[in-house]
Amino acid sequence: MRDVLTLLRPRFLSMKNRMASGPGKGRLLARLVYGMAGFIFWAGLFSLFYRVLRYFKNVEVFGDLLAFKLLAMSLITFFSLLIFSGLLTALSKFYLSRDLPLVHSLPVTPEKIFFARWVETSVDSSWMVIAYSLPLFLSYGIVYKAGALFYATLLLNLLPFCLIATTFSTLLILSAAPILPAGRMRSLFFVLGVLIFLLLLVAFRLTRPERFANPESFATLLVYFKDMEMANSPCLPTTWFFDGIRSALAGVAGKALFHTALTWSFCGSLICLASWVSGPLYLKGLSRAQAVQGKRIGFKVPGGFQWADPFRRLPGPVRAFALKEIKTFLRDQTQWPQIFLLGALIVLYLYNFSVLPLERAPAQIVLLQNLFSFLNMGLAAFVLTAISARFVFPAISIEGGAFWIVKSAPLSAGRYLWTKFFIYFVPLFLLSELLIIATNILLRVTPFMMALSVITMLFLAPGVVALALCLGTLYPDFSSENPAQSVTSLGGLIYMTLCAGFIAAVIALEAGPVYTIFMGAMRGGSLSIAQWIWLAGSFSAALILCVTAFAVPMRMAVRSLDEKLDG
Amino acid sequence: MTNVIELKNLTKCYGSLRAVHRLNLTVGEGEIFGFIGPNGAGKTTTIRMMGGIILPTQGEIHIDGISMAADPVEAKKRIGFIPDRPFLYEKLTGREFLRFTADLFRVDSNLFGEKSEEILKMFSLGERADELIESYSHGMKQRLVIGAAILHDPRVLIVDEPMVGLDPAGIRLVKGLFSRLAASGTTLFLSTHSLEMAEDLCHRIGIIHRGALIATGSLDELRRLARVQESDLEAAFLKLTEEEVLS
Repeated sequence: MRDVLTLLRPRFLSMKNRMASGPGKGRLLARLVYGMAGFIFWAGLFSLFYRVLRYFKNVEVFGDLLAFKLLAMSLITFFSLLIFSGLLTALSKFYLSRDLPLVHSLPVTPEKIFFARWVETSVDSSWMVIAYSLPLFLSYGIVYKAGALFYATLLLNLLPFCLIATTFSTLLILSAAPILPAGRMRSLFFVLGVLIFLLLLVAFRLTRPERFANPESFATLLVYFKDMEMANSPCLPTTWFFDGIRSALAGVAGKALFHTALTWSFCGSLICLASWVSGPLYLKGLSRAQAVQGKRIGFKVPGGFQWADPFRRLPGPVRAFALKEIKTFLRDQTQWPQIFLLGALIVLYLYNFSVLPLERAPAQIVLLQNLFSFLNMGLAAFVLTAISARFVFPAISIEGGAFWIVKSAPLSAGRYLWTKFFIYFVPLFLLSELLIIATNILLRVTPFMMALSVITMLFLAPGVVALALCLGTLYPDFSSENPAQSVTSLGGLIYMTLCAGFIAAVIALEAGPVYTIFMGAMRGGSLSIAQWIWLAGSFSAALILCVTAFAVPMRMAVRSLDEKLDG
Repeated sequence: MTNVIELKNLTKCYGSLRAVHRLNLTVGEGEIFGFIGPNGAGKTTTIRMMGGIILPTQGEIHIDGISMAADPVEAKKRIGFIPDRPFLYEKLTGREFLRFTADLFRVDSNLFGEKSEEILKMFSLGERADELIESYSHGMKQRLVIGAAILHDPRVLIVDEPMVGLDPAGIRLVKGLFSRLAASGTTLFLSTHSLEMAEDLCHRIGIIHRGALIATGSLDELRRLARVQESDLEAAFLKLTEEEVLS
């Protein structure tokens, strides 16, 4: 046990030293903001669950049924999340961590290393699920006026519940590692996880839950309630946890204790099994994990055409960075799930516009269509901001340790940054225009609104991308293992805030004139000279803002990159 | 002999720490200059300033007569830079990395095919040229970086710890390559810990200690300067750096 504690000590010491040295001013601010955001989200969840449960409690016949069905479903969701998070954490802790060669060179048995890593996996993959499950459990405790038995049962069950999930994930990884290389496995699990999430998301959206607000669907709901009464499988840890909590809420101590004992005994057995199989399996998988797959997947297009051919016309250094950027992006499998996710969210975005019940709205259809189109400009620009935050903001940090190549290359900082700008701007601009045009077609807006949306996006997009590139250059993180996460830094926070302000200002500057034009057209009257002057002034101000948001950040980024040579 | 590298009063400070102090040096065409010194003496800082990776606090760097401060792009075109740690774009293949470097340094597309094949063959990377760099060993990455650095026939090759990670065959290959390059007129500036290598390869050696150049000259000149009888560089190096500490 002493060896296991020694193996865990570097982590505690690093944490202690980090806290002792204190975060920088910027990091402290970022932590405060994210801490506040986390707390607000936590409080929001609590408020939501509390309200829902109170509402259920007041519904006769079905109320309790609904409340407990919600609990059972939440437990299954938590368990799935714990397993998924456990899979990714275990993979990285057992097979991909940078300190593994050092740890395995120490005079400690692999079983002890396994145990220390299992503890880390359990803590890392569970803490967030536990933190965000508490609002749900607390709501049940308050709404059902639970006593000490409920809270004791909850605490006694929560720990083995998490341990079962993470141990199960660890066992899965241990069994798979000798067959599949760890690097591939991580990509596979990640892609599968995101695909399953997307399927559920799309399936949920396509069922059009808004129809349930329609009384005609009531017959379907009755069938649904009947289905809800079906018991969960008695072999699942979620069922034991559920039964334990339900018994505790009802004040039946014996039953609650029985289910808690069941959970603990299964948890103990699973840990013993994992520790037993770790001996023969862990080192075998670890040896395989060291082998990196160097072969890349590729295909040839008939006729000898290569996708890189159009780039051949570019000047050498620009072509070099453009091709490097595209190839590294496409070959990094961790990017793929995010592209799938993005694709699915865009499909849902467009789908939502196609099912807007405008014809049933009390206001005039033309006015509503154009109002939505106007709001959609802002929404599409925010989508562009989010995508830029994920892909453009880390574009400098992504160079990582290889930044020396950029510094020693015969290429000016300005040319390098402009190359980066165009690599990201072209696809993002096309995507945002596609979104705007598609949604406007679905909304059947007037030609004026279509033109205004397209032109506004034409001027907004360069600013959004330039701001991302500028803040990413001002706040780079070359040492991060995952540069994509740099968007959660202070720089990322400033970028999101600035972009939100920029988009809101442009939309606000256009809103007044557009409303005046519409009302004028609807009333059939013409605009006064003063109104025309106001219109021209407002649109000019929006244009100046867009040009400034593009030119100033690009200049700042070039200057900042030049200064980085002095690092 | 034409001076291809000229360092004038080169100084680099990190806050209150003076990493390099008033370094003056010239290296001629076809010369192999060895830059040796204890850990933290300022070797890598000097090398990085010469490669245009960091800016000096004071002083000038001229490469082939071109000022690094006034026209860094033109100066860098004449340099092949080899860092001590070969961080590369892991998701490119070896061949693609060579193509990337060729594009950066505007190597003629018609010449690239032949040249890259020659380099891949020379460094025994041919068989794995189409595999991702992430699957390469440290030594293979180092060989690829060296290959990429000579792809555009630079006037100056700046090398930080050239033999780190190379096997004995690799070391022999690189030593031979450096000698051939120098014979054909390329100027080499090598920073190294290995006194044996400096002794074997370099025409002239500079010893840097605590950011200052304390001695320059051929092996014989350094021995005379240190007043040592032993024939190897180690004794001269230890004596000179020790004297510097005592003074």
